Amino acid sequence: MLQFKLVLLGDSSVGKSSIVHRFVKDTFDELRESTIGAAFLSQTIKVESEDQQEVVIKFEIWDTAGQERYKSLAPMYYRNANAALVVYDVTQEDSLNKAKAWVEELKNKVGDEDLVIFLVGNKVDLCEGSDNEDKRAVAATLAKQYAEDQGLMFDEVSAKTGHGVKEVFQAIGQRLYDTKKEELATRQRGNGNDGQVDINVPRPSTNDTTGCCS
Amino acid sequence: MLSPERRPSVAERRPSLYMYQQPNSITVPHLAGIEDPLPETTPEKVDVLIVGTGIVESMLAAALAWQGSSVLHIDSNDYYGDTSATMTVDQVKRWVERIHQGLVPCYSDAKLYVSNSIHPNGKYISKDFGIDLSPKILFSKSDLLSILVKSRVYQYLEFQSLSTFHTYENDSFEKLTNTKQEIFTDQNLPLMTKRNIMKFIKFVLEWEAHPEIWEPYADRTLMELLVEKFKLEKPQVFELMFSIGLCYNIDAKIPGSLQRIRRYLSSYDVYGPFPVMYSKYGGAGEISQGFCRSAAVAGATYKLNERLLSFDPNTKVATFQDGSKVSVEEKVVISPTQASEYSKNVPAQKYEVHRLTCVVEKDCTEWFAEGESAAVIVFPPQSLKSGNKQVVQAFILGSNSECCPRGTSIWYLSSTEQGPRAEMDLDAALEAMEMSILRESDQDIAADDDLVQMAADGHAAVINSVKLGKSFKEYISREKVQFLFKLYYTQYTATPAFDVVNPTFFDTGAQISGKLIPGASDNGCLYTAMPSSEISYDEVVSAAKVLYEKIVGSDDDFFDIDFEDEDEVANNEQSKLSYENAIEDDDDDVGGADRDIEMQDETSEFVGEMEL
Repeated sequence: MLQFKLVLLGDSSVGKSSIVHRFVKDTFDELRESTIGAAFLSQTIKVESEDQQEVVIKFEIWDTAGQERYKSLAPMYYRNANAALVVYDVTQEDSLNKAKAWVEELKNKVGDEDLVIFLVGNKVDLCEGSDNEDKRAVAATLAKQYAEDQGLMFDEVSAKTGHGVKEVFQAIGQRLYDTKKEELATRQRGNGNDGQVDINVPRPSTNDTTGCCS
Repeated sequence: MLSPERRPSVAERRPSLYMYQQPNSITVPHLAGIEDPLPETTPEKVDVLIVGTGIVESMLAAALAWQGSSVLHIDSNDYYGDTSATMTVDQVKRWVERIHQGLVPCYSDAKLYVSNSIHPNGKYISKDFGIDLSPKILFSKSDLLSILVKSRVYQYLEFQSLSTFHTYENDSFEKLTNTKQEIFTDQNLPLMTKRNIMKFIKFVLEWEAHPEIWEPYADRTLMELLVEKFKLEKPQVFELMFSIGLCYNIDAKIPGSLQRIRRYLSSYDVYGPFPVMYSKYGGAGEISQGFCRSAAVAGATYKLNERLLSFDPNTKVATFQDGSKVSVEEKVVISPTQASEYSKNVPAQKYEVHRLTCVVEKDCTEWFAEGESAAVIVFPPQSLKSGNKQVVQAFILGSNSECCPRGTSIWYLSSTEQGPRAEMDLDAALEAMEMSILRESDQDIAADDDLVQMAADGHAAVINSVKLGKSFKEYISREKVQFLFKLYYTQYTATPAFDVVNPTFFDTGAQISGKLIPGASDNGCLYTAMPSSEISYDEVVSAAKVLYEKIVGSDDDFFDIDFEDEDEVANNEQSKLSYENAIEDDDDDVGGADRDIEMQDETSEFVGEMEL
């Protein structure tokens, strides 16, 4: 199983947590049961390797827990993030600008060149149907153009109806697998984590002292 | 003022959590934003306001948030950690600048050198480095470790082992003989000495049960006990006192020092053949961030770049620099470094801790055990050419700690010596370390044909003597240690070296006199303790608990958290129960590895003769 850290970013009340809630709570047969602790949420998905083998990917999903509100996210939050979901609200024009600022922040704070950033426009349910079209404040084409310029993945979703949510994580998982598989293979062949201690496992057997994050 | 009844926990206060508690259903913990949109402004009313995000304040914030208190946690800096911060080089530069301007209480005499190689376009950049203001090691069996497990904050952290403790003696480093196996296989130790060491170890692991042995020495020193009662000689006494016990001078008292020796021995082999660990990416700064995140998950509000201006104990209103105000129902807790202007209740910080932190362009793997990236080096009293009276402790971190780039290492030196002597001791220790690493790492000698040819008879002798070091006092390396960063500073604390956290350290002027001080901006506030000289995290939990008790009324439910997924908690509990230690329970640990059993045979041979 491959494990990746995914962080959420975006202005308050764009529905970051609701998207994760929808993804983690909405279990389907092909999804493994998720384990949830207070530290972060996790959920597994399956992606396909080039030889049609199923690969299980586990997302360790870090919510901001409100620490973004006063620009008080700790370096720990960004550290070793493999993917980021940057969320804006399609009915709030300014929220896309805020999302753009978070993208800049991410590029500054995360060292990983291969960081997968997925720009997500949430709340499309609010502007569905001809009556509600005027509620849309951010045109999909506009956000898409920005995403392409910046090399981000992009889609619109509704955490409320669930529309598109699963697909976002599926796409991130597939992208991560494709970009990271070689690196992961080399790392696993290497000599493991030097001196790493898993404090959940007192008195490890003498031949295995590798950590929890293998 | 205090609420004697237990306040409802977060789970009890948030019915939505209960909703998810049925078995087999997916449980989702409170994550800000799921249930209600968060208010856009600072809350109007909180139970507790905490100022400063050092490790003690952060642990307190998390404990209170999980207990059910509403917490507003602020820091006047734009980074987490306060006195425990892990900083980039640029952050250290700004911090030093502010010390020079007199803007950082409890610190003085900061001197900083930064090499030109650390530069936006240089070989290294500022954020390649994580410099700890209060470098710490974590004992495998300690109260902080159990809190990290209980609170699950460990899940945010990565730990690495540290097994090498060197004692500097006679101008060279002696690696600590810290296991029974090493004691018994050490060819240099006479049989009688081995026996005496084992006798002492046996005693110290259960010292409380043997008052007849230590009580006669209660007003005397550990050294006298070791020499008179256990007939140990200087090298062993120094190892026990200064490397294992991490005591500060030859006057170390009993029973405090016995406790410290046991701390090391009982931590050994809890997670593997090492007594301590350290967290990757930074020490106390990283753990502080973990507790803050945990507090935020439990509902605490975080605001960096926010300064407390004043607190009015009558209206209970706290006023901040940005003009906002908050009504504090219970307590305001402040780090001494972030005391408001016109504060008059900050406890006196009488004791100095002198620190010297260097980054050197050497990986220093010679000092580390295989597969590890850290070591502790202790310079006992009188071992340095400065004639040091107090120990100098050095904590070395290599690049696998992710606190410095490959090919470099961080050397944290500290001394409890008071006054200007301290810097001389630190400099002497630094010089000794420099000489040692040059001698030990000079591969040129082995590889360099010229030098070998210069030696008239026998190359091997030359090479060996380099490795041995001792006989090479006169050796002058052609190389120099390149310093990338060098920082001296003095930190002040209310906790005397070698003491335990005492609740009176938190008493403010107003509490002692029972009167409010007119014109003070901090009447009715509590202050936390500055970090002491202690190299381990031992004081942190006690300090947080003392404050917790002052706020909640009792520390019974300190981190008494009901997580939703009980299975995992059960696992954690189980792990905790099995924290036992090889040295302690060797006798009934027959199922251990072969090596252990062998050791046991040897041991019992000697133990049998002991009169304890």
